[in-house]
Amino acid sequence: MNAVLSRISVATAVLAFVVTAVPLNGQEKAAAKYVAPRTADNHPDMQGAWARRGVGLQEANAPSTPLGDFGSTGQPYPTVFNTGVFTTQDRSVLQGRPAGVIDPADRVLPWRPEADAARRAFIPKMIPPASLAYVEKAARCVLPGPLEADDRHPYQIIQRPGYFVMMYEYNHVTRVIPTDGRAHVGSNIRLFMGDPVGHWEGETLVVDTTNFNDKTSLGRTVPYHSDALHTVERFTRIDPNILDYQITIEDPKMFTRPIKIAGTFQAADPKTELMEFACAEGSQVLPNVFGFELAPGRAQAGK
Amino acid sequence: MTPKRGPRFKAVLAMLLSVIPAVGQAQTGNIPRGPDGKPDLSGVWQVLNSAAWDLQDHTGALNFPPGQSVVEGGTIPYLPAAAAKQRDNFEHRETDDPAEVTCYLPGVPRVTYMPFPFEIIQTPKVIVFSYEFAHARRHVFTDGSPHPAGFPDFWMGDSRGRWEGDTLVVDVTNLDERTWLDHAGNFHSDALHVVERYTPIDASHLMYEATLEDPKVFSRPWKISMPLYRRIDKNVKILEYECVYYLQDKRYSNAKPVGVPQ
Repeated sequence: MNAVLSRISVATAVLAFVVTAVPLNGQEKAAAKYVAPRTADNHPDMQGAWARRGVGLQEANAPSTPLGDFGSTGQPYPTVFNTGVFTTQDRSVLQGRPAGVIDPADRVLPWRPEADAARRAFIPKMIPPASLAYVEKAARCVLPGPLEADDRHPYQIIQRPGYFVMMYEYNHVTRVIPTDGRAHVGSNIRLFMGDPVGHWEGETLVVDTTNFNDKTSLGRTVPYHSDALHTVERFTRIDPNILDYQITIEDPKMFTRPIKIAGTFQAADPKTELMEFACAEGSQVLPNVFGFELAPGRAQAGK
Repeated sequence: MTPKRGPRFKAVLAMLLSVIPAVGQAQTGNIPRGPDGKPDLSGVWQVLNSAAWDLQDHTGALNFPPGQSVVEGGTIPYLPAAAAKQRDNFEHRETDDPAEVTCYLPGVPRVTYMPFPFEIIQTPKVIVFSYEFAHARRHVFTDGSPHPAGFPDFWMGDSRGRWEGDTLVVDVTNLDERTWLDHAGNFHSDALHVVERYTPIDASHLMYEATLEDPKVFSRPWKISMPLYRRIDKNVKILEYECVYYLQDKRYSNAKPVGVPQ
């Protein structure tokens, strides 16, 4: 074992020598750092199909939540297609990559005491739901907000000058992110996915999103947020097969300071085509919970 | 002509040919084009008609704006049994319309003439259509790929596109039989095959045509056509019309759960 370790040390020393030698040549120094391919307007090209990994608001010292998949209603997952994302690499490339909450480092979320108390009182009423307000958001087929897309489904990015477009297979979410410097929509307009505007900072796309409503959830232990939610996302292509992703979550009505989450978009099979995820059309969750159909007519879900 | 002059002759010919489309562009009102010379359909578009209520001639009624037929020849060529089913659908339109009442994805071509805007985002290999109504989306692949074999039906179908001159032609199959064509109960079966044509008229107008073929319901293929208008509003954006969520609130907000099925 020691012999192996010492051999690795020697190899590391040789490698370190080679790496330190590289900067002597300016061209090679530039080649050492990955530079993403460029789009026609000379920004990093992040187009393609991707699998999102590691993004989520896991919380230390969280209240217990016996919610399984749609567990609050006892209903099965709605009819979907293409639930597996096939990546070009095995998942070992994700090892060592940051994932989940990275700030606070101990994952104890900076709750405002009154907001923490309110959600601790809220969660037990979700199982079973005391009323529509307590039905788990995903069970309503609602747009997922900033964090709650189901990552068993692939994503696709396309770019045009002035636009960065992020498409989710999950619930056919489309985020058309303008990068032309325009302002957010008026503050009375409230959106499940918020209003995103982007700008480029060198290799990184920075997306600022406001105008959220208060009707989506942030995670299993954070079943709702306020309409003061504000997110800042950073997308950086650091490798042909990896987009580094960070999102800062700020909600001053819920938390005393911003929370930072990290994750990875890993390249998916380039032949991937997003399929149709028709959630509401296939779901009988609410009719079963409340005992009558969503619409009065003869056309009913799941038939 | 000597072999040496061949390349130069070809270059001159190419130059002449490249001039000809430029004349065509001037005649079509200087439509936007991409680097590949194809029309660039990107932008926010919307119809200005009442086809979503009824594709054919119809008189106004409460919450039912009047309009003239967008069907070529005026009427839809139903087979006799299908005509009876359409009349039954019409009678039950206030409870049975899958898009207007139940908030299901409206299918093709109805999604185009819903009274909501939609955005086209064009790239060389795929043209994305993002609709405000129920955040519907279609991917129109223009990479020469065929409809996948053995796929199930989708509410929004499977779309494969190609260019015929300045017209984007989209072939749509795998359409779910549960969608209607309008609020008047015009309908189709799972055999529906739609061919759409998007032709730029000028920088702010497209002509939209759709041919519908469904031998289980119609006696022959038939066609609709209507202009699409570019939304030139400052800072225009697709927002959210989350029909299902609003309907859930209306139906269940005051309802009491009957228990959790196991």
